[in-house]
Amino acid sequence: MPEKKPKILIITTNHSSYPGANAVGQARLSYDSNTYIIRVPDPVMFPENFYMKAFEKGISGIIIMSSGSDCPYEGAYDRLSKRIQNVYKLMKEKNININRLKLTTICTVCREAFLKEIADMEKAVSV
Amino acid sequence: MSENKEFVCDSLIIGSGIAGMQAALDIGDAGYNVIMVEKSPSIGGKMISLSKVFPTLDCASCITTPKMAASSHHPRVKAFTYSEVEKIEKTNEGFEAEIIKKPRFVIESECISCKKCEESCPVHLEDEFEFGLGVKKAISIPFTNAIPQLPVLDESKCIRCAACARVCPKDCIDYLQKPEKIKIKAKTIILATGYEITPMTAKKEYGGGRLINVISSLQAERLLAPHGPYGKVLRPSDGKIPDSIAYVQCAGSRDESIGIPYCSRVCCMYAVKQAMLLSGSLPLSEITIYYMDIRAFGKGYEQFYNQARAMGINFVKAKVAKITEDQEHNVILRIDKQEEGSVPMEVKHDMVVLSQGLLPSNKNFFGLNIEKNEYDFVASSKPDFSPALTSTEGVFTAGTACGPKDIPDTIMEAGSAAMEAVNYLKSVKI
Amino acid sequence: MSEQITEKDHTINENYRQKPKVAVYVCHCGGNISDIIDVKKVAEELSKYPNVAISREYAFMCSSTGQDYIVEDIRNNGINRVVIAACSPALHELTFRGALSRAGLNPYLYEHVNIREQASWVHKNDKEGATLKAISLTKAGVEKILRQDPLNSIRVEAVRGVAIIGGGIAGMRSALSCADNGLDVSIMEKSGSLGGNLNRKGKVYPSGKEAFEIANELSKKVLSNPKIKVYLNSEISFIGGYVGNFQLNVKKSDGKFEKVKAGAIIMATGFSHYKPQKGEYGFGLADRVVTLPEFENLLENSGEKALEISGKKVSSVAFMHCVGSRQIDGIDAPGKNGKVNEYCSRICCGSIISSANRLKEKFPEISVFDIYTDMRTYGMEHEKYYKKASENDIIFFRRPLEERPKVEIGVEKVNIKTKDVLTMNEEMEIEADLLVLGTGMEPNDISDLVEYLKLPRSSDGFLQEVHPKLRPVEVANNGIFLAGTAQGPMDIKETLQAANTASVKAAALLSSPDIPLDPFVAVVDEDKCTGCGLCPKECSYEGALIMIEKDVKGKKKKVASVNPALCKGCGACAAVCEPRAINVAGWTLDQFDAMVEAIAKE
Repeated sequence: MPEKKPKILIITTNHSSYPGANAVGQARLSYDSNTYIIRVPDPVMFPENFYMKAFEKGISGIIIMSSGSDCPYEGAYDRLSKRIQNVYKLMKEKNININRLKLTTICTVCREAFLKEIADMEKAVSV
Repeated sequence: MSENKEFVCDSLIIGSGIAGMQAALDIGDAGYNVIMVEKSPSIGGKMISLSKVFPTLDCASCITTPKMAASSHHPRVKAFTYSEVEKIEKTNEGFEAEIIKKPRFVIESECISCKKCEESCPVHLEDEFEFGLGVKKAISIPFTNAIPQLPVLDESKCIRCAACARVCPKDCIDYLQKPEKIKIKAKTIILATGYEITPMTAKKEYGGGRLINVISSLQAERLLAPHGPYGKVLRPSDGKIPDSIAYVQCAGSRDESIGIPYCSRVCCMYAVKQAMLLSGSLPLSEITIYYMDIRAFGKGYEQFYNQARAMGINFVKAKVAKITEDQEHNVILRIDKQEEGSVPMEVKHDMVVLSQGLLPSNKNFFGLNIEKNEYDFVASSKPDFSPALTSTEGVFTAGTACGPKDIPDTIMEAGSAAMEAVNYLKSVKI
Repeated sequence: MSEQITEKDHTINENYRQKPKVAVYVCHCGGNISDIIDVKKVAEELSKYPNVAISREYAFMCSSTGQDYIVEDIRNNGINRVVIAACSPALHELTFRGALSRAGLNPYLYEHVNIREQASWVHKNDKEGATLKAISLTKAGVEKILRQDPLNSIRVEAVRGVAIIGGGIAGMRSALSCADNGLDVSIMEKSGSLGGNLNRKGKVYPSGKEAFEIANELSKKVLSNPKIKVYLNSEISFIGGYVGNFQLNVKKSDGKFEKVKAGAIIMATGFSHYKPQKGEYGFGLADRVVTLPEFENLLENSGEKALEISGKKVSSVAFMHCVGSRQIDGIDAPGKNGKVNEYCSRICCGSIISSANRLKEKFPEISVFDIYTDMRTYGMEHEKYYKKASENDIIFFRRPLEERPKVEIGVEKVNIKTKDVLTMNEEMEIEADLLVLGTGMEPNDISDLVEYLKLPRSSDGFLQEVHPKLRPVEVANNGIFLAGTAQGPMDIKETLQAANTASVKAAALLSSPDIPLDPFVAVVDEDKCTGCGLCPKECSYEGALIMIEKDVKGKKKKVASVNPALCKGCGACAAVCEPRAINVAGWTLDQFDAMVEAIAKE
């Protein structure tokens, strides 16, 4: 068995970052296999405790790849970023390094940015 | 010959390649009944045999199989495969077509596609689906994803050993099966008869057909396909993994000496694509493309070309004058490099792919009175108003039947022909 | 607004109510997946997973045979939920939903797991890791589908009309085809006449026809068609609604506003000629440097005796290809959007050669030079023009791909220095009275429409189709279709074909009185809802989520209520609901909790 690697959960959106993750594959670029992509209409649907529970279950890092200004849903990004601020507070209370949660924006062609976010998170979870 | 079954439909589509299937789906979705007639044993046309397609590098199967599945499951689309159109007549009500359904020597309604016949057959033949690179049996299902999944027995090669008949669990081998005549009445016709590539022998100087390591572009597609004949890229003469591969562009286009002065529109891009795929599967090989102009004019194509250059594929502006081989069957190209002032020189490659052009597959249109252009492609009667119209009312055209073009352009034309057919059907109904 | 929504239950097979029996299918994708991922192992691991009754692997799940496996297993083996690990759902989610429907199972009782674009293709050097990842993701897919309710598409009554934005040849062709199909059509055109870029003097290739004649043939038919309403000098101040029920606020030429309703929208917003920057190949520095459309005009309006510019006779003309096209980052200056135009504009080589030939035919004594890099005269007849250009003694210079000719404006002449591949990369100097810049195509500025409709654009700024082969004229937003050069450079014939394709899609969409919509909207579990009223505050869509009083199991109760045609399914409401009474159908928080659990577990 290979050594157990810390797992990174990547939350993508149907509209932008999920196709963006596909574009990385279509370009045959590479990243580590400890990355698990799930897709949602918009991450705004997750309450604060969704993230906290994920950490409890053993997920080491979470990248939220939102659609940012491309977001097809009105007001969703503002709501999401406020919510993530709350999550950071909860993380601090639980002594979880806040670098293990990242809110970012990935578009359908953001291949380089996608890889960079993963590389950054790999560093954050290896500490 | 068994006699005259008769079918009636709104639209009769000749050809079931990507153009024919797309037109069938669009007309079916709009609520009309369609019959496709296909001369090969499976629908899918040339596209299903390609490796991957530019500029997305999706595997061709991934794009074609769902369209094949969708058209074979569509409640308003029916296909006659392995069937030739004998003639089409214009009548007062529309059109009447005579179709000959060729015998597969298999009772189609009984066959369960178990392939036992194929496994038992002792006769090996060149596989036309692999463009001669692979081997098939005298009775076989044409290829993995074929629709329908029915075997065809090659009567001329069968030795009548009856091995297949003995193993068939459904007892459905029928050596005495006869061609069947079918009559189809339709209100509209769509000509989606597609293309052939220029023969390897078209340009004698290029040695195609004689030199074993000079292969056709469609053979190269099969070498690169996920389900290809060898499972990897090998050169035909000795099965060696080629270290240096060259593409000769415009080998069958833009060449008045062979009567094909036009540009075939797809050869630059498929060569660039194949080169990229080759450099992926043979990272150590040198790949060179000898070209006059790289015509990467479609959406995303220039970016695709730039990607290929960044991958290290050599693009050399040169005319290839002659192709010969040495004793080991290495291929020797005599080229005029444009960059270096037309000094003739000789270069050696392990394998050479001829980027052949596109010719019309059908030129007589089954007795229909259809205007052609000077190269025998279907001519559009109103290119600046609605290009899918032909010189005969009720007959429309799409795809490479009316000129060389790539898959995205073909799919656009299929939709356009479908629109014209649907609106024509609306107008004649009233 | 006609938002009569009916829910029709297509489910024939009710066996989803029974104990879950999941079938898992792992696709090889003909080596695309199986070369990296051990598909046998994935299937084997999954066969041991709770509630999985069947686990198979196959070469091409999308093929007819692959789909038949699914249908058979549902019909004969009591399967009532399906997980497919294959390519991206963008390719085949619909394909497999269709297979479930054919077998009589609710098409939404299937989960698509992406192990190609997001596993095998990106973990080429880690076969073991990729296999383990595929196993975890597929298990998560099983967990998700176990908690999935059958969904039924929401059917919305559709307006049998099409709004076409843009009155160029793409818009007009679409309008005629849609009207012939029986649909009501509105064309919104911002300028004062139909015809777009063809509304000009000058000939087009390859037919040699007058541009305006082509436009006129279409516009005469459009203007006389009773089913087509044309709004000239109009502006669109807002677009709202959804497939089947779009609403456009149109500001008409008289300044008054009109609401236009449409079931589908065709974007035929067209292109603009690239405008060179000041100083780009001498543009804007002297009147002796003009763009190709300006030159066309000049040639058309010149007398028979001589071509003149600013009163001076022209005796030599140079044409420059690829101005504003095939630009290279770091060599060419970026445009207003901060980017270079990397794409080829497709039509310029043909246009330039055709113009140059006409110039030579009208004024044989004028010397003509042509500076190009690849001659992309791809059309059936174009090669003939190219040959004729040589016969017309047009002199060609082929510049290297990454070199840019230098242009200096002299007192009388334009001086062009370029390296020429055809003469061993020698530096050539060309003196011409007139330099014509072969400008490419750029999409028209439609940022407001893009904003209203949240339309996707590709990196080159043109509108982006879902997939160039699977869904070439559709965008991610339902009910909106692309026609012509709004999508990318095309010539006249190609534009007309694209416009007809957009029309056939609109016609099929509106062929029945109601349109099925995706069922992924918020749903309320009224038993769980406490009536707290927090969720409507999170909703950004007017009228989509409100609190109502109603009878729930005999008791009067305040509960949240969703209008499914207005809800966009973002889920903002779900996040604030403590008892999880409101969820987006198909994307519930319980499902995600279970998926995360499966992923986190070893």
